[in-house]
Amino acid sequence: MNKKKIFKIAGITAIAGILIGASVFLYMFFMPHRDVQATKTDFTLTSSEIVMEYLTDNNTANEKYLAEDGESKVLEVSGMVSKISEDFNGQKVILLKYPQDKAGVSATFTPQTNNNLKGVVVGQNITVKGVIRAGASYDEDLELYENVILDKSDLIKIN
Amino acid sequence: MKKSVLLSVAAIFFVTVAGFAQVSGKLVSTKTQVKFFSTTPAENIEANNTATVSTINTETGDVVFSVPMQSFEFEKSLMQKHFNQDKFLDTKTHPKAKLTGKITNISEINFAKDGTYNAVVEGELTIKGKTQKIREKGTLTVKGNAIEVNSVFDVTLAEYGVAFEDGKPSTNIAKTVEITIKAEYEPQGA
Repeated sequence: MNKKKIFKIAGITAIAGILIGASVFLYMFFMPHRDVQATKTDFTLTSSEIVMEYLTDNNTANEKYLAEDGESKVLEVSGMVSKISEDFNGQKVILLKYPQDKAGVSATFTPQTNNNLKGVVVGQNITVKGVIRAGASYDEDLELYENVILDKSDLIKIN
Repeated sequence: MKKSVLLSVAAIFFVTVAGFAQVSGKLVSTKTQVKFFSTTPAENIEANNTATVSTINTETGDVVFSVPMQSFEFEKSLMQKHFNQDKFLDTKTHPKAKLTGKITNISEINFAKDGTYNAVVEGELTIKGKTQKIREKGTLTVKGNAIEVNSVFDVTLAEYGVAFEDGKPSTNIAKTVEITIKAEYEPQGA
């Protein structure tokens, strides 16, 4: 009788353990990507400000904005639309750059946020929210200033 | 008299500069796709990057690709995190990978004539701060003003100090991965 009870408890514990283990594994394996738009904004600034920060001290800026696991800071950047294009995945790409700046902020939208750009034209001042993927710098091989790159972007407002 | 000489010298100067500007031959691409593909018996892993910037100098054959590493997007979030971590590509310390090279047969490519040309690129590839010599093949397609480059080549991760000693990723990620590059160029300033 007592032995039976022990077996029963051991069995239930084992099954519960396996279930918990399996669900943790499945959760980790199928963990969805972070929803950038639902994530709290870490920094709000203009395209000129972040470009200047990067051109002044690249390492300090990387330390501040990039995360080791790739889930880097979420930024709200305002600036002047200087180019609207589309990438190979059909995602809209907005370049925020003032004429006097050496580089700008290139924000890639998503299939879900593309449509929010309807009516946005070159020359307008807008604010976008996205996750930073890389900073601005002068590349001596390209002989070009590279833009700050934002991904998973959406339009916050037309200023 | 003097004035007219000065004027014509100035005119010649400006015409020459304008002429050079037109054939300066620097092509820039921000419409790009860099694909990473790894296959093992355990699983296939694919990642996509559309934020790469590239230039080609049509006169010297110089080619450059600058790849922002955190822009690689994986289907599974956990894989993307592994990819970025210091044990693998350490993208916080090395945010960009870079390919610099020369199209060795640039003279065989006629940028003024439509067609698909084979191109051989010799140069260097830097990943995770480590540089290796490379020699890869690709095609360059000229269609009017549009120029497209395509290339597929293999990268052996260990050569760049990218290796998992143990754990799941060591068995699920291939030692050699396939990189596919596609880029659409336009003249600089266009």
